[in-house]
This record gives sequence, structure tokens and C-alpha cells, in this order.
Amino acid sequence: MSARWQRLATGSTTWIILILAGLIVAFSVLEPSSFSTVNNARNLATNAAILLVVSVGMTFVIITAGIDLSVGSVLVFAGVVSAKAMNGMDGDGAGVILVGLVVALAAGLGWGVLNGLLITKARVPSLIVTLGTLGMALGLALIITNGVDIREVPPKLVTGIGVGRAFGEIPWLVLIAVGVAIFFGVLLHATRFGRHTYAIGSNEEAARRAGIAVDRHLIAVYGISGLLSGLAGFLSLARFATTTIGGHATDNLQAIAAVVLGGTSLFGGIGTVLGTVVGVFIPAVLENGFVITGVEAFWRDVAVGAVLIAAVYLDQLRRRTQYRD
Amino acid sequence: MAEPLLEARGIVKSFGRVQALRGASFTVNAGEVVALIGDNGAGKSTMVKTLSGVHAPDDGEILFEGRPVSIPSPVAARELGIETVYQDLALAPDLESSANLFLGREAVRPGLLGKLGFLDKAAMRRRTEEAFTTLGVGVQDPTAAVATLSGGQRQGVAVARAVTWAGKVVFMDEPTAALGVVQTRNVLDLIKRVRESGLAVVLISHNMPEVMEVSDRVEVLRLGERVARFTTADTSMEQLVGAMTGALRNDEAS
Amino acid sequence: MRKWAAVLLLALAAGTVAACGDDDEGGGGGASDSGGSDYKMTLIAGVKGDEFYITMNCGAQEAAKKIGATLEFQGPDQFDAAQQTPIVDAVAAKSPDAILIAPTDTKALFAPITQAAQNSKIVLVDTTLDDPSMAVSQIASDNVGGGRTAGETLLDLIGGKGKVMVVNVKPGISTTDQRGQGFEEAVKGKPGVEYLGQEYSQDDPAKAAAIVTATLAKHPDLKGIFAANLFSAEGAASGLRQAGKEDQVKIVGFDAGPKQVEDLEAGIVQALIAQQPAEIGRLGVEQAAAALDGKETRPEIGTDFEVITKDNLAEKQDALYKPSC
Repeated sequence: MSARWQRLATGSTTWIILILAGLIVAFSVLEPSSFSTVNNARNLATNAAILLVVSVGMTFVIITAGIDLSVGSVLVFAGVVSAKAMNGMDGDGAGVILVGLVVALAAGLGWGVLNGLLITKARVPSLIVTLGTLGMALGLALIITNGVDIREVPPKLVTGIGVGRAFGEIPWLVLIAVGVAIFFGVLLHATRFGRHTYAIGSNEEAARRAGIAVDRHLIAVYGISGLLSGLAGFLSLARFATTTIGGHATDNLQAIAAVVLGGTSLFGGIGTVLGTVVGVFIPAVLENGFVITGVEAFWRDVAVGAVLIAAVYLDQLRRRTQYRD
Repeated sequence: MAEPLLEARGIVKSFGRVQALRGASFTVNAGEVVALIGDNGAGKSTMVKTLSGVHAPDDGEILFEGRPVSIPSPVAARELGIETVYQDLALAPDLESSANLFLGREAVRPGLLGKLGFLDKAAMRRRTEEAFTTLGVGVQDPTAAVATLSGGQRQGVAVARAVTWAGKVVFMDEPTAALGVVQTRNVLDLIKRVRESGLAVVLISHNMPEVMEVSDRVEVLRLGERVARFTTADTSMEQLVGAMTGALRNDEAS
Repeated sequence: MRKWAAVLLLALAAGTVAACGDDDEGGGGGASDSGGSDYKMTLIAGVKGDEFYITMNCGAQEAAKKIGATLEFQGPDQFDAAQQTPIVDAVAAKSPDAILIAPTDTKALFAPITQAAQNSKIVLVDTTLDDPSMAVSQIASDNVGGGRTAGETLLDLIGGKGKVMVVNVKPGISTTDQRGQGFEEAVKGKPGVEYLGQEYSQDDPAKAAAIVTATLAKHPDLKGIFAANLFSAEGAASGLRQAGKEDQVKIVGFDAGPKQVEDLEAGIVQALIAQQPAEIGRLGVEQAAAALDGKETRPEIGTDFEVITKDNLAEKQDALYKPSC
């Protein structure tokens, strides 16, 4: 028992939570009346929500020792087809919005499954496949829209989910993101599906020999990533009331950074959804805190980069000292 | 004499232009320890992988308890009661011992939760600890990642996995190759215990003294074919080495 | 032990960088010049690295110093709503007395600016919102008029007939939309003039260059280009140079940044429609101060523009945009 608690105390997730807590404390001390207010916390969470949804999907992919560069483009594509679908229907009530959601999810899932098929059946590395679908999804979105953002979105979607709050306090976007994190966190940590995900990332050949249907599982994992990118596209539509085609070029890197910051190893086999949640918040808190304390934008990028390297270094240190060859 | 438990006849297997097995045969009887020996490149690992469903033979037949069978996948081998401890152990290093023991055969919670795939981690850990105790595998922290264990402990986990699930046969490919003296002794004792429990054990090894100590019979592969068969009690290390290098050929072969 | 130190050091480092940030503007409680209003203001640009907004900041800083107010300068890395929103939220958390902002989208920034308006006076500079009711003043160039002048100037340069096109930024930005509109008014229906329409550069010079080379491939007899903002003008000029068509095609650009002035001197660009960003910045600070003093404000102020050519460049040095104050 005590060995387990010892491992928990030195685990990388614990470290990253401490770092986040340290940052929050530091900024609260410096600007108590600005930083540590309910409003600011609410805005922080809302701004991080959409990236969190994407990053949860990315967590699964990276745990299998893969990578998904296409998330930003799939997000844009899903938002575009969803907006087109909703605008093509009569009225703008809940039924139309539901159709929009289904379309976005289906679009995302489609791209995800395509990624999975190419990676498993055609045996092309995930880096290359998702680089390709990154271009294709964005390209198709540009073709459909002629390069111009779609700026008609059912108003109820924006006022309801985009800026609306549950119980008057918690933004719906945050609630949805938290729900996604909890659902997929449970899937990853408590079910057979989750364990197989870890196994494939840790030793794919061993998983195969143990009778796990590796190819089918990987297709499902990339499908999840695509599905969540699709959901994120729908949420982005709700938030900004426009498809923001040009604004998602670095979503993939931000998601990967969040996942890695959270303690997931790029080599696969290790990672948690909780870590990803923390990993999403660290750059968000840094940016928010730096603007509030008046630091120039360039320092934000330096700081986030430094924390990323420190987090990965600590993880490597832990591996080297604990793992034997 | 009862029919062989598992028999391979005339297996041919090529990888590209390399012919690893050229009509090789192999026999395992119930409840015995049979050693499969041969020099590097003789085809021992390929034979093991063919019989455990990792490779499909290009030609030849496999008989299980007298009936012809095909073993197209590792799952098919398992269903016949065949388990394997591979040379590379085939463990997932980041997962804990119980996760590895139950890899692909995870225990789920009863009822609805189980249908959704919720794991019963407590049950798996408990059964793992029981297996370790029975087989004498010394792993202090069952929740530690397998990568933090020593080579001997990892070997113990892999063997415990095979033995726990095996119904009829356990293949062990070079189980002591990377181990120290004490750990090797543990594995050899383990093999004897396994035989006592009624399972057949196929031991692939380079180590002649080991082979002489634990096995009941020895079969020799050379350049992809079986060239000799011995009863351990009636043979000597010199004869074994001779068969491996081709200086000696034995009428009982094939 | 070592690891605890690392976490502490990191939080300390972040805090130190943040604490140092405040020293940039105003120096805190130093003696103020006249009136001593002590107002705290923040200017949020549409994008950080753009000389237009930098010049605006210079004008605003001067005006702020005159009345004893402190002004901070913030802005996103790209002209994008998703990137500007977290910055608006963070600035709002500090509740400055006034926020001068150039919204990057007429719809998407409505919610965050409305929220900021709860505690700060809002002045919209350069761009505006579909619903600007929360602002005390909107200050911008007469962009429709500017576009019209650009159209007339371009027609002059090409001898009154030929094919013309617009390289614009993206729809949804009030200022550039208006420039396109004004240009169209000036050239549509003129005999012998073929208006090829608008293309969008997404505020990316590389894209603008690609658009120009692609258009030349389709219409080798293109005569004139109107580039609606700084980055578009830079890119369009590059595109012409790449295609070797600097002699054949005339460009009228909007904005007078250093790169564009170089192009003007080199003869690649024939005329620049310069706004008065420093004036906009100055007026912005004045209107904000007026609102804070309880005086009346002017809801809409239009500033002038100047036509700069190689011939009058020497006299119009003051109208050029600066890369730093």
C-alpha cells in the first residue's frame, strides 16, 4: 500500500498539479483583486474548454504512441458542414441545432476513422497520415466556404450554449468540457477499452499476441479523436458565432503540448486525462496571469515553452530512476 | 502409449528468401518437459511461434490430441490450451503485473458494469498475488509497472501468466538466457513445479546443463529440420552437442 | 527535495517575470504632468506586430502622458477572434478605468467586450462591432471614403480602363469591408473597367502574394490592384515582384508602413492611402478621459486619410506609420 502512495506522490501528474497550483498562488498574490475573482476564473475556464475537448481525444491517441495532427482542421471542417446544415434548414430551434450537432460529430468521426484506417491498414505512420488529413480537411472546408467564414449561426445556439450558463453560474461550455473529461477519463482508467489503449501504446506486439484486436482498437481511438474534434468545432461555432477558419492552425500543437505537459509520454503507455486537464490550464493561466500583471506577450511563449521542457524533463528523470533496463 | 499431446509434422516456413523451417517436426507428450534445442538459426523460435499461432506455416500439418488442427492466431492457440513465454517476454512494460497477467483476458465487474467493460482490478490483483505465491514469484509491489522489476522478476511474471492460463502446454523460449544464478535456479524449480501440476512444458534453451537437469526428452533441430530425438536419462551433453552441430544423426529423427 | 525546489523556483520565476512587467508604462506613482487624472487605460490592438496599431499606440501614449494617465498596450499574435478573446477577458479582470480596443470580429467580440464594459469605459478604435451600444465612442477613418479615393486613384493610374481587383483581409472586419465597398462604388459601371471582385488574404502577406500570382495566371492582362490593408499590400507587392509584373500592374495600397513606403519608393506600389492612426489613438484617449470625467463624448468620430505618392513622399513624412514609438 505505502509503495503505491509513494508512487502517487512522485508521479508526474502530482508534479504538474503542484506547478499549476504554484502559478495560481503566485498570480493571486500579485494581483488578488484581478486574478482571483470568480469572473476571471469563469472566463479562464471558458477559454480553455474547447481546447480541453480536443486534448482529451489527443490523450488517447498519444497513449497509443501515435499522434493526430489533423485535429484543428477537422474542427474547422466540422464547424463548416454543421453551419451549412443548420443554415440549410428551416427555422432555428432546438431541432435544427441538434441536427447541427449530429452533423459535426459525424464529420469528425468520419475523418477520425479515415485516419485510423490509413494508419492500420495502409501501414502509414500516424504523423504522415494525420499531416495529410490536416491538409485535406482544411482544404475541403475552404472549398465549401470559398475561403470566407460562415457567419450565420442559429442565435439560440450562441445564447444558449455559447455564452449561456447552467444554474446562472457555470458556463455550458465548461460543463460540457468537464463532462467530456469525466466520461473519457472513466473510459480510459476503469474499462477494458482503456486498458487495451495503454497496452497497445506500451507494447503493441505484446498486445497483439495477447489476442487484442489492435487494428480495430486503433481505428476506434483515432475515431474518438476525430469525434471530439468535431464536437469542438460545434462548440466553437456556438462560442464565436462564426467558423473561424483561419484561427485553428496551431490547435494540434497546443493540444499535444497540453497532453505532454499533463504527464502523458510521447512514447505511449502512460498518461491520464486529469493530467491533460491540468496541462490545458497551465498555458491558459500563464497567458491570463501575464496579461493581468502587464507582461509582454512574448514572455508568455517563453514561459510556456520553459514549463513544457521542465515537465518533460521531470518525467524523463522519473523514468530513468525508476525504470530498470 | 498414448498419442502425443501436440505434434507438428513437416512444417515449412519461409520469410522472404530465408527458409526458417524446411519440413521440421516436433512432438510434445502430456505431462512431460521436452527440450527443443539447436544452434542459432536452427528454427526453434519459428517453430514455437508457429505452434502458438503467431505465424502461419506455409506447409505441413499440426495435430492436437490426434486431431488435425489449424492455429491461425494466438487466440486459437490459447483456446487449445497452449500458452507461450516468448523470448522477449511480450510484456507491456508500463502496465502493472496483474494487468500483464490478464492482458487480453481482463476480468470485468459483474452485471451491467461488466457488460460495459468495467474492470475488476481488485479481483485481478488478488488472483495475481495468489499465482505469484503458488509459483514462488517474488514481486513485492503488485501495482508497480513491470518495467521497474528486475529481469528475473519479469521472467517470473511472464511465466506466471502462461502457467495461470495454460490448459495443456506451456512453451518457454530461452527463459533463463538473461538471468543470474539465483534467478535461473528459481525458474528451473518453477518449471519442475509446472510439470508436477500436470502441464506439459516445452523448453527452448542453449544451456545444456539446464536441459539435462529439467527435461524428460530432448528434440534437436538443425537447419530447419528435426535431426535427433533423445530421452534425457539415456543421453549425454556430448551427444546433444553432436546432434546440434550435425556430427551425429539419430535414427529416431523425423 | 530537489524536485520541491524546482517547483518553487518555477513559480518564483513566473512571479518575478510577472512582477517586473508592470514597470513598463508610467512607472507607477510618479508625479504626473497636468491635471493628474491618474486614469489607468489599456489599448488592445487587433494584432500586435502591425505598424498601424503601433503608431496608434504612440499617439495614445502621448495623449495619456499629457493628462497623467497610464496606458498599457496588449494584442494577440494574429488578427483572430479566438486569440483576442482571452486577452480581452484578462484585461477586463483588471478592471482598468478605460479600454480602447480594435475588435477583430464584428460579432464574436461582442460578448467579451460587453462583459468588460461592466467595469471599464469602452472606446472602439479602428474597427467596430455590429452592436456598439456599450461603447462611449467609435473612432475610425472614413473607410468608405478611403476606399472610394483608392478606386479613383487607381483608375487614374491605369488610364481609366482595364481589369482591376481587390485583395482584402476577411469579411467581418468593419474597416476593410467598408474600404472594399467604397472601392466598388468608385469603379463599378465605369466604361472599359472590368472589376474582378475581392479575394481574401486572411491578413497573411504570403496568402496575398499567392492570390496575386494566381490571378495573374488567369488574367495576364490585369491592370490594377487595390490592397485593403497593410499585410495585404505587402503581400500583393511581393506577388507582383515574384511574377515580374511590377511594370504592368499598378497597386494602390491602404496603410503606410515602412515596408510599403519602401515599395512606393521602388515604384512597385504607386500610391498609398494613409490613415491617421496616431490621431485615432490620441482621440481615443481623449474620449475615454472625457467619459471618465463625466463630460459628454462624441459617439462617432471619423478621421482623415492622405494619398501618398512617390512625388509627395518628402512632405508627407509625418503621415507614415512607425515600427516603434
